[in-house]
Amino acid sequence: MKNRKILIAVAIIILVSACLSVLILRRSDKQKVEIVQDGTVLYTFDLNSTEDRAIRIYASEGGYNLVQIHNGTICISEADCPDQTCVNMGVLKSDYLPIVCLPHKLIVRFAEVES
Amino acid sequence: MNIRRMTELALLSSVALIIFVIELRIPNPFPIPGVKLGLANIVTVYAVFRYRSSETAMIVTVRLLLGAMFSGNPSALLYSAAGAIVCLCGMLLLRRILPEKQIWLCSVIGAMLHNIGQITAAVIIMQSFSVAAYLPILLVTGSLAGAFTGVCAQLLLNRIKR
Repeated sequence: MKNRKILIAVAIIILVSACLSVLILRRSDKQKVEIVQDGTVLYTFDLNSTEDRAIRIYASEGGYNLVQIHNGTICISEADCPDQTCVNMGVLKSDYLPIVCLPHKLIVRFAEVES
Repeated sequence: MNIRRMTELALLSSVALIIFVIELRIPNPFPIPGVKLGLANIVTVYAVFRYRSSETAMIVTVRLLLGAMFSGNPSALLYSAAGAIVCLCGMLLLRRILPEKQIWLCSVIGAMLHNIGQITAAVIIMQSFSVAAYLPILLVTGSLAGAFTGVCAQLLLNRIKR
């Protein structure tokens, strides 16, 4: 009986997170992005008005990420970490799901709109 | 601990490490940080059900440390260690409740706990709550991967009788 309860609990958690994942993966319509490192905001951009450019951001322990803004999209185009996950994530799309580089503690995300 | 036991543990650690290194070579179809098949955890699940808690912890510790060294990504150690500790504690508790037939379930819960530990570490290290948005996605993919490794471990346990 106890096992059945555990099984049901697990199933519910998986279902709920599947629903949340769908919500989280929706495309954003926001334009303001921010680049955060170690909990401090380094840059904010408006993707509509920012010209194409690339910014190299150095991590405190060494290493870098190259953040590229191109045609109103933002992505990390280059990094010298071994896992390259942030580069593979491609263009920032979702409101909730930031591009993160875990080794360099870097986050690229859509900014909250101030009312 | 006798020599036989020690040799077995060393062997299991190296098997886990080899699986870990091979898995690094497989390109990841999901470019999301933390999403992984985690094949090396077949050994962890096997050890949870066959060895004492302290011995399982030893295997996992060796795997974590050497794995971080071999992958050339020592900064990933903090995240994987946080996940592994939470996961191991959870699985060692579940071992008392779940029968040997439901090892896959133990593995699924272990995988979810691993993801929760990872994300908690990431939130603390990055000092930003926005990474927590990864948790639901990780829970779904993690439970699938956990079910797979769990089934593998179950097959192993059935074949390797004591």
